[in-house]
Amino acid sequence: MVRYPYRTPMEEQTTDVIQGTLDMLILKTLSLEPMHGFGISRRIEQVSRGVFKVNPGSLLTAFQRLERAGLIDAEWRQTENSRRAKFYKLTRAGRKQLDLETADWTRRVTAVARLLKAEG
Amino acid sequence: MSLWRRLARGVRALALRAAADRELSDEVAHFIDESTAAHIAGGMAPAEARRAAMLEIGNATVVREQVRGAGWESAVESLFTDLRYAGRVLRKSPVFTIVTMFVIALGTGAVTTIFSATNAMLLRPLPGARDASALVSIDRKHRNGKEGMSASYPFYAELRDKSHAFDGVAAWHDVPLTVTIGGAGTLAYGNAVSGNYFTVLGVRPEIGRFFAPDEDRTPLTHPVMVISDGFWRASFGADSSVIGRSVQVNGHPFTIIGVVPRAFRGVYIPLKSDAWVPAMMLPQLRPGHSLADVVDNPFRMFARLKPGVSRESARQETSVLTAAWVASGAEPMPWAKNYVDARLVPLSGLPEDATNAIVGFFFLLLGASALVLLIASVNVAALLSARAVARGREMAVRAALGARRGRLVRQLLTESLLLFALGATGGILIAVLATRALQQLPLPDEISLDLAPDYRVIAFALIVALVTGVVFGLAPALRAARTDISKRIRDDSPSGGVRSSTAGNALVVGQLALSLLLLVAAGLFLRALERGNRIDPGFDATGVSVATLNAESWGYDTVKAHAFFTALRARLEATAGVTTVSYTDVAPLTAQSSGGRMHLDGPDAAGSADASGPGTPVRANYVDAGFFAALHIPIVRGDPIQRRDDERSTKVAVINETLAAKIAADGNALGRTFTYDDEKITIAGIARDAKYAWLTEDRTPFVYFPIAQHWLPRQVVLVRGTLPDNQMALAIARAVQSIDRGLPSPVVTTLRDANSIVLLPQRVAAMVTGALGAIGLIMATVGLYGVISYSVNRRRREIGIRVALGARQTDVLGMVVREGMKLATLGVGAGLLLAAAATRLMAGLLFNVSPLDLVTFAGMSLLFLAIAFVSSYLPARRAAASDPMTALRTD
Repeated sequence: MVRYPYRTPMEEQTTDVIQGTLDMLILKTLSLEPMHGFGISRRIEQVSRGVFKVNPGSLLTAFQRLERAGLIDAEWRQTENSRRAKFYKLTRAGRKQLDLETADWTRRVTAVARLLKAEG
Repeated sequence: MSLWRRLARGVRALALRAAADRELSDEVAHFIDESTAAHIAGGMAPAEARRAAMLEIGNATVVREQVRGAGWESAVESLFTDLRYAGRVLRKSPVFTIVTMFVIALGTGAVTTIFSATNAMLLRPLPGARDASALVSIDRKHRNGKEGMSASYPFYAELRDKSHAFDGVAAWHDVPLTVTIGGAGTLAYGNAVSGNYFTVLGVRPEIGRFFAPDEDRTPLTHPVMVISDGFWRASFGADSSVIGRSVQVNGHPFTIIGVVPRAFRGVYIPLKSDAWVPAMMLPQLRPGHSLADVVDNPFRMFARLKPGVSRESARQETSVLTAAWVASGAEPMPWAKNYVDARLVPLSGLPEDATNAIVGFFFLLLGASALVLLIASVNVAALLSARAVARGREMAVRAALGARRGRLVRQLLTESLLLFALGATGGILIAVLATRALQQLPLPDEISLDLAPDYRVIAFALIVALVTGVVFGLAPALRAARTDISKRIRDDSPSGGVRSSTAGNALVVGQLALSLLLLVAAGLFLRALERGNRIDPGFDATGVSVATLNAESWGYDTVKAHAFFTALRARLEATAGVTTVSYTDVAPLTAQSSGGRMHLDGPDAAGSADASGPGTPVRANYVDAGFFAALHIPIVRGDPIQRRDDERSTKVAVINETLAAKIAADGNALGRTFTYDDEKITIAGIARDAKYAWLTEDRTPFVYFPIAQHWLPRQVVLVRGTLPDNQMALAIARAVQSIDRGLPSPVVTTLRDANSIVLLPQRVAAMVTGALGAIGLIMATVGLYGVISYSVNRRRREIGIRVALGARQTDVLGMVVREGMKLATLGVGAGLLLAAAATRLMAGLLFNVSPLDLVTFAGMSLLFLAIAFVSSYLPARRAAASDPMTALRTD
């Protein structure tokens, strides 16, 4: 199990995202390009084909947490439609963390899938 | 990195709260805008799109709060909010706040004062020394493990040179010095020390330097001196050009080379230390003493353990070296043969043999002060509880607005902790003042106490306040934060009714019991003091003044000293108002004693002869002609010590009645002879028994030798006269300096003051427990008064009905007073039981006053019941006087 030093807040239980995976999803989304908050939320929704809907409160809390942990960086930039928005981008530590979490996640999913198959 | 980053961001968020908030609002706003735009792109009308976006994100404030609450800084922030709020609440009810703070200040002040004294005497490592925990005192011990023996210089040198466990072994002993600066002599409490003394202690000079290694190798070659900060200020006005200056010390030129920092007060901290000289200079300062002499053993030793060496292994090595030293036959005295062991204890600033008694005494006082803190805290808990009831509505409203119970408890606890912290500040202030007052106790001149609080004491006070704040603030807080909102809001009356008054009653009973315990203790000490003062010491101290005169410290040789003492006697006897003058080695009843063994020639009272046996242990003093007359000690047979008993005449002694009865069945021991210190002595007189060193001693065999036949360069002059004390002191000082103007002015005290040292423990204990007991009693009285007033208020309606139905005033009075007296009786009963169990701990200090002394127990119980009566009578009278109609209409 990979841990980095922050607590998973209780609020996340109420989101539609599988508990504990929101951070990984954010990191993954940011691994492609720097993005602002709504963009990330939109991207997660689209790529998961609407399976995951992210609560904005949890999302913004997660940003702060990840930023504090040094996994992402933030800066205010102009958007395409020339408005100011806070853009997040992955740091080197964040990239490493994403790799670790991805590997961990894959391992679990495989194990669960195997179990389910054995049951069936 | 990550931790640092989180910390930095947190601090930034705290400092720039507004900026961080704005940034967050901007982000949320941007989120909503983007979301709206997305909805419009999806085909929604703009207004509808915005509404949908808002719905999605929910309450923007909640989101912001969520994000804000995620960082650690929010906990800090809410603590500040709590503190600010607590401060506001406390300011809003100043009477409650001041009363509570005052009570807490008294409680913590009591404990802190005693702790401060304990810390100064026992707990803190030697002040001024580096890494004092590695310093040990080395004491040579008898094989029985009890009696100790100080060291001769050769024995010290043996340990210093042969031990491997230490980073240096040092030795010192106190030697009174006369420092003459510009013709005027000053008495200085000096230490003759080994050259490595300061190095082993790890003390660095404030200015100048300390002894160099070669300054303590050869006798009499390096007359150098280090002085204390206090002496430097008092005698040289803190002038730094004092380094290199030459002064006369005991009549010989010495050069001042350094000043000790203020923090360092010597190795035995209660003893004043003004100056330090190399031990190698001793033969000059104390003529007739040689460092090579193994019989002369004034030195005390201490050492610094090498890193990694345990105290036990160092002790073993020291014991082996000591045993080998004894086996080598280096010491000719037969009695020294039994001192083959060594003990190593941490160098604490107190003589090792004094530590145990002092520890017991201080723990007694600490226990007493802890009781006061307990009583005070109980009062505070009661105050907080009462307030909790009064604030029930506020709590209910806050709970209704969404505050969780934990949050409310935290808020209330913050309030009581703030109260306790403020109270503790007052307590520290009290401790500063009270320790200053304790330092004013009458003590011998060579003793100086520094009991002031240091950072340990302040930390202790704050921790005590924190712990008591949590312990006694938690229950009221939990109770106040009960969250059955609807009931609380509906219920307008000051609720908690019966239950709270039961708890209140129990608290008051407890307080009464504890303060009774304290006052019983105080009463017992007072009785002991009174008994101590009434004990007949067997001599009359009234009108007698004493002063210690150390001719050795003036650089006098025997001839000059002899002449001085003779001249002084003549001058004093010629002074108007002086009746009798005498000299003695030790002033009586000043907690000092010495003695030896006498071998009687011929059979003693029991018929057995012991001329060759172990001898009879006796205590002894050396006195001059006029001693018995000056102190009004009757001579029951034979002669007192007289002027003709000088070095040329037969060696004689006066013995006391107890010893006479041991020597001869009929008590007539006149003319009998005995051997003492290898000298043949004839008994010339028998004196009435007296107290010699302590009041507790009983029938001590005692011998007085003529001081003229046993030359002592240090003598105490005893002067009886009719002059007032201060004029007598002046007359003695003038007489001393009229003989030699260079002599330091002697420290003159009345014998009565000098004697008061033997009652010092009782005096201190009576003072401390009395003050503590009085504080406790006041608090308990206020507590009782509060409980009765509260109950009277609550029962106003009931009382009104009773009066309306025909109850007379006296019935109401009786009813209320009975309620108070019931509590008081319970409290006094419990207190008496507690006291009966606890006072036996003090038995050693009581001079045969029984720990269950009836007068004290009965007297204090009556005092308590009387006070309880008054404090319940006052509210009772109010209740009885109230108009029944008014009472019935209210509510």
